[in-house]
Amino acid sequence: MSTLVIKNLHAEVDGKEILRGIDLTINEGETVAVLGPNGHGKSTLLNVIMGHPKYIVTEGTITLDGQDILSLTTDQRAKLGLFLGMQNPSEIPGVINSDFLRAAVNAKSEKPISTYQFYKVLDKATKELKMPFDLATRSLNEGFSGGEKKRNEILQLMLLEPKIAMLDEIDSGLDVDAIQVVADVIKEEQAKGIGFLVISHYARLFDLIQPTRAVVIVNGKVVIDGDPSYIKRIDQTGYEFIKTELGIEISKPDNNMNTVSIGSCAVKDAIK
Amino acid sequence: MERLALTKLNNKEYMIPERASGSFVFDLATANDEVLIRINNSSNVDLLLLNLKDGNNIQFEVADNVYLNVATLGKNDIKTFKITANVGYKSTFSAYFADFIHGKVKSDITINLNKEGGTCNWHLASLSMNKDNKEFDVSAYHNAINTYAQLDNYGVCRDEGKLTFSGICKIINGSHGSKAHQNAKIMVFDELSNGVAKPILKIDENDIEASHAAIVGKINDEHIFYLTSRGLSEEEAKRIITLGYLKPILKGFSDDNMVQEIENLIEGEM
Repeated sequence: MSTLVIKNLHAEVDGKEILRGIDLTINEGETVAVLGPNGHGKSTLLNVIMGHPKYIVTEGTITLDGQDILSLTTDQRAKLGLFLGMQNPSEIPGVINSDFLRAAVNAKSEKPISTYQFYKVLDKATKELKMPFDLATRSLNEGFSGGEKKRNEILQLMLLEPKIAMLDEIDSGLDVDAIQVVADVIKEEQAKGIGFLVISHYARLFDLIQPTRAVVIVNGKVVIDGDPSYIKRIDQTGYEFIKTELGIEISKPDNNMNTVSIGSCAVKDAIK
Repeated sequence: MERLALTKLNNKEYMIPERASGSFVFDLATANDEVLIRINNSSNVDLLLLNLKDGNNIQFEVADNVYLNVATLGKNDIKTFKITANVGYKSTFSAYFADFIHGKVKSDITINLNKEGGTCNWHLASLSMNKDNKEFDVSAYHNAINTYAQLDNYGVCRDEGKLTFSGICKIINGSHGSKAHQNAKIMVFDELSNGVAKPILKIDENDIEASHAAIVGKINDEHIFYLTSRGLSEEEAKRIITLGYLKPILKGFSDDNMVQEIENLIEGEM
């Protein structure tokens, strides 16, 4: 069984610290819901685990089955069995989706997959996701609708069969039917024993995939690591209880917006 | 697919007859450096030019109501070459140039849209590497009303390669209803490589449409992250992105052997 262990993780982007000491363990077979207000480090955590070059780890460790992964390149992490379904998948002109998928499948396996075998697998997966097969022959994500991009992420998850899959707002841009389709696939993958780390702002997806745990990230730290009932509570009452019950002040995300706002006097603010 | 030969008129001139329709081939290796190819009225021609060589000066006289698609591959050492097309009434000159020439190259491509309704679609995919220094000057002159030019130049620079895309779209006074669009895009791989894109518009008429775009830059980091997060190595990711930049040129080539050769060149060089 695979285990991803994150200890005292600090990470910054453009010199600004986002993660301030994350401690979190995810076991294969678990589905962990990641919650928290916007701008507090959820997406950053997933990107850091996957090795996005924009994020600099300043302290802490991440191990998969005891192996340090922070020293590995992104592709090495993928080959070990980590997968990140992105919030905004890149559009890459000229790169044919099926060529890319095949290259990705081959990157993981020792022996290249045969054309016949690949198309059989691809055909089955696209049918399950109710994706038009022609999406496979188009440029990677180029001109895909929001929903098509997200299905394409799940398609890759199915083909690559990771040990731990991280999904960053995979349900945004999906309509009700599509959420059901994606959730069905996730459930199948859960049954295979894949571990999931899932960010979403909506209880609907979580209702369908039934997380085994919920964690809440506030101010770049895990402030709650508990049972999934927190999902319902947050959905109904928001994050206020974190302040009233845990005494943790939720800092406003830094935004470099002008301090002038509606209701204030622009001239006065300007001459302060 | 059987391809037809051009009709030889003299040591310099060749032609395709009126109303001809089909695929033709012309081997520049067997001809003078300077050639003039006449495409006569109302013909519909797919022409494959083989063995472009140093010093070539190729002129196309495209008559009226002609559709001409020219595809060619540049390779080995060519220092200078020149292509000129004079495009007639409601005729289309469509060209696909796959450039894998090595060394220092200076080229001059000029399309004169001399009569009403003349159209030019120019596509270039160029790879500059190993201290290659290439300059493609591609210009279209709108000398009549309702003429159209789309000039697309795509390039990749790596390993101290230098690549320059220049050229003018000029719409003269009186050529109303004309449209001119230029695209120059260069992907630069490393610090010692150099890409220059300078598409120029010269417009002397009001009732027209014109645009020019120039993009020179490195591969998008997010694209590399996306591909590597699926297990592709950084090298493989760069390769696949670059292929996506160059491979669309293949749609202009109907000859299977040539398509294979260009694919091999792209994959081999990358």
